[in-house]
Amino acid sequence: MKYLNKSVLEIHELLKEKKIKPIDLVEEAFENIENNKELNAYITLNKEEAIKQAKELEDKEVDNILFGMPIAIKDNIITKDLLTTCASHMLENFIPLYDATVVEKIKSKNMIIIGKTNMDEFAMGSTSRTSYFGAPLNPWNKTKISGGSSGGSAVTISARDLPFALGSDTGGSIRQPASYCGIVGMKPTYGRVSRFGLVAFASSMDQIGPMTKNVYENALLLNAIVGKDERDLTSAEKETEDFTRLIGKDVKDMKIAVPNYFMSDIVNEEVKSAIKNTIEVLKNAGAIVDYVDMKYLDQAVTLYQVIALGEASSNLARFDGIRYGFSKENPESIKDVYFKTRQEGFGTEVKRRIMVGAHILSGENAKIYYDKAMAVRAAMRQEFKRIYKDYDLIIGPTATTTAYNQTDSLDDPLKSFLDDVLVNPANMSGLPGLNVPVGFDNDHMPIGMHIIGNDFEEAKIYQLASFIEKELNLDLTPGGEK
Amino acid sequence: MDDRLSKEEVLHVAELARIAISESELEKYQIQLKQIMDSVDKIKEVEVDDDQMLIANWSAPTKLREDVEGKMLSPKEVINNAPRHSGNYIEVPVVIGEEA
Amino acid sequence: MSKYIPTIGVEVHVELKTNTKIFSNSINGYGEMANSLTNVIDLGYPGTLPTLNKEVLNLAIKAATVLNCKIRREMHFDRKNYFYPDNPKNYQITQSRTPIGYDGYVEVEVNGVKKKIEIEEMHIEEDTCKSTHRGTKTLLDFNRAGVPLIEIVTKPCMNSGEEAKAYLEKLRELLFYTDVSDCKIEEGSMRADANVSIRKNESDPFGTKAEIKNIGSITNVAISINKEIERQTKIYDSGETFKPQTRRYDDKLGDTVLMRVKETGNDYRYFPEPDIPFVYVTDEMIENVVKTIPMLPDERRKVYVEKGVSEVNANKLVQNRALSDYFNELLNENTNLKIASNLLLGDISGYLNKNEKTITETTLTKERFLELINRMEDNTLTSKNLKDILDKILEETVSIEEIIKTSGIENITDDSAIRDVVKSVIAENPGSVEDYKAGHDRAIKYLMGQVMKASKGSANPKIAMDILVEELQ
Repeated sequence: MKYLNKSVLEIHELLKEKKIKPIDLVEEAFENIENNKELNAYITLNKEEAIKQAKELEDKEVDNILFGMPIAIKDNIITKDLLTTCASHMLENFIPLYDATVVEKIKSKNMIIIGKTNMDEFAMGSTSRTSYFGAPLNPWNKTKISGGSSGGSAVTISARDLPFALGSDTGGSIRQPASYCGIVGMKPTYGRVSRFGLVAFASSMDQIGPMTKNVYENALLLNAIVGKDERDLTSAEKETEDFTRLIGKDVKDMKIAVPNYFMSDIVNEEVKSAIKNTIEVLKNAGAIVDYVDMKYLDQAVTLYQVIALGEASSNLARFDGIRYGFSKENPESIKDVYFKTRQEGFGTEVKRRIMVGAHILSGENAKIYYDKAMAVRAAMRQEFKRIYKDYDLIIGPTATTTAYNQTDSLDDPLKSFLDDVLVNPANMSGLPGLNVPVGFDNDHMPIGMHIIGNDFEEAKIYQLASFIEKELNLDLTPGGEK
Repeated sequence: MDDRLSKEEVLHVAELARIAISESELEKYQIQLKQIMDSVDKIKEVEVDDDQMLIANWSAPTKLREDVEGKMLSPKEVINNAPRHSGNYIEVPVVIGEEA
Repeated sequence: MSKYIPTIGVEVHVELKTNTKIFSNSINGYGEMANSLTNVIDLGYPGTLPTLNKEVLNLAIKAATVLNCKIRREMHFDRKNYFYPDNPKNYQITQSRTPIGYDGYVEVEVNGVKKKIEIEEMHIEEDTCKSTHRGTKTLLDFNRAGVPLIEIVTKPCMNSGEEAKAYLEKLRELLFYTDVSDCKIEEGSMRADANVSIRKNESDPFGTKAEIKNIGSITNVAISINKEIERQTKIYDSGETFKPQTRRYDDKLGDTVLMRVKETGNDYRYFPEPDIPFVYVTDEMIENVVKTIPMLPDERRKVYVEKGVSEVNANKLVQNRALSDYFNELLNENTNLKIASNLLLGDISGYLNKNEKTITETTLTKERFLELINRMEDNTLTSKNLKDILDKILEETVSIEEIIKTSGIENITDDSAIRDVVKSVIAENPGSVEDYKAGHDRAIKYLMGQVMKASKGSANPKIAMDILVEELQ
């Protein structure tokens, strides 16, 4: 009997009525993962502990909708006593001493951690191919990339292994693979979710967010992970709210902006046409959709390179082979410890980004690049704020194309940045953004729409996304409903 | 415009980043880092109205922590994850002066 | 007189006296088992983030206030990026662009000349871990990693080792008295580096700089700076030059030795720390901190002297903060502060040292001390008798009067008894009596001593003297 392809609400009812037990879900999840082994979605499975936990839950009251639900966690989120590798040789054997705040939160809901998902090394990449453990494959077509960096989380949800996954998003790493794999992925407002326990890539942009098969379940998981955390000074002081509360409401009179840049010739025609079709659906439902000009959007990649790589070069300095993680054997000097550990411990993409980051902050460059980028960043945020004076939401495509071949642009140092050109601005400006599937290209690869909200207006994003989801009613199970 | 950074520039950033690079990697990095830097260079041309800087998207001023002690690790936990240790100390090859 | 003008700037790191570290809640402690005072934040574990200790900000505001600095109201932190095994994240969180304090000064006096030592800036940062070298290995103890520091940087405004020494003494006194730091140089909670250069004329550009690192004591600061001035003078006199360099003071040699020649400037790649939002210092925060600032050492010295305490005693009291604090409690009492200071610095200090106690650990409450001072002042207790009952005074809680009574040393104030003693002393010492009559003043002191001796110290000295003079007429 299969349960995990049902909606979370249905599974919850079955658990409550004691028709199934958490262990049934856990076993099914591991079975699914085993069957989909070649997708390479996981780095580490938490089998023993998950089964133990599921059995312990049998005596407990089913007290919340996430109770007993299997969840997968991106492998750059720290899990106590459970290998956390960041898909890097550097942390291949690293066993953390504490739980990330989000992990504490999902444990307090009695969700069950099934495993740690594959990703780009230290979340640096847009394809998950920089993983030390090999790339995950796209369930819609195994010759295609999953997108990244949260590729493993996107793949396991898309393949319907289990209902919930966490990803992280610094420049699009939740939304872009969600788009490529045809799932729903939310990057919350910067500060909405605690970053304590998220291995930092670019601290001023990193956010953890939910990845699910549908909008409602996405909002449910976001409900569970938000909140002010005393351990993260950048987490926001916000009242808890129910992010599902606007789901089901219509979109009549909702004011939506489409920046012309998002529909310019940088975007593939098939993708554009799927977005246009969706815009027509929205207009027919009474939403007001305007095309607008926005400054600075075309600077997003450059801006991202300066700020993200500058911060990353500093954040990743701690991996030095002294206190934890990989260390080159038999060093002859302290120089050996540093240079050889980091040479062997990091992969090419990570090393390239660290070096560029060091260069950007070096000497006079800090002023020329970094200070300037912070000023452009401020201007870009102002530009978004200007639009939100007149509009509820901003939409566009999530990615310029659908998922491309595993073998494409392997050695192009710029490609991974360009893949995120449409999703970067939300990170730069701290705004929430979500991918919702809106169609397929001629090869039946999923196309996603990106919805960007004003600060802390995730609920409004879910309102629009769920409306689109319902109206389009796409079959989003790869290979069709099983 | 050159299509690559100089060897010295690459070696300088590799030194800053404490990453050893082989002779064969050096040339690759000269070209690739330059490709990224050409993209980064575009930031210079962007015009902004004022020089206000956004360090990060923070919503509130820093909330300060009360000066009250919390849980600490045992020395054993500290050294268990360390590649090299000696007694309760974490160990590295001897560091002389400021050479590191 | 040297034909060169020395220029000296001093950088001081001071560890703040907090319960916990600057960015984590592990204990800020010294002398504990290696790696027993750490958590994942101090060790720079992946995924960890800093939180800012409220008390660090308070102590920094306090320090800035007593160093007459302007206090920045909106600030952030910066990352200073460099690899070193004692630097767990391989970046140090510090304040480079927006130091909390700036444009301050402290006033010092050297050889009777007053001078304002100007403070360029004062910022908050985290300490590194402690490394110990053992043969081919370096051992790391992270207990110190993340201990809060303030770094105080002067302008290059001093001209001698003595000035630098006076500055450091003043700094230590101020920060110690305000509980900002315990300022123990030997434990590393206060560390000083000095930049030294010399030039011919005020109008010349500054000469080549040598930095003297981690000087182990304040006395050595003056010695090492003066030695360095001497060294640079010799070099220039012989027509040579030298490269900017870092030196250290070798206590055994009594001189500075070269550590390394400075290459091109360090590339620290500073950028604003994205993990800590802006910090705002409000009027209210400053007011609350200022309220906790006690009377400062200079003020104490001034007040003590005004109230009749000798300059020597005033200085000695201020050197011992516990005694000075205790003494301050008496300032508004109607009592003889000169006697009070003599008692505290004399017999009472002797007792405290011998018994390794502080004044507050004795039973000498303010009320009992006032009673003691009165007894001394009206001569109903002599210093000789005090010595006999001092332990009781400091260890028991009964009144001084009670102790005097039960000790049987009640002062002889009975005139006739004293007169009998005086008479017999005069009879036994005709030679001294002669001397006195011949105008030798010293003789009366001898006779008086004999009277006190014969009365076993119990005679009231004032009355005894009056009677002695009377009988000698």
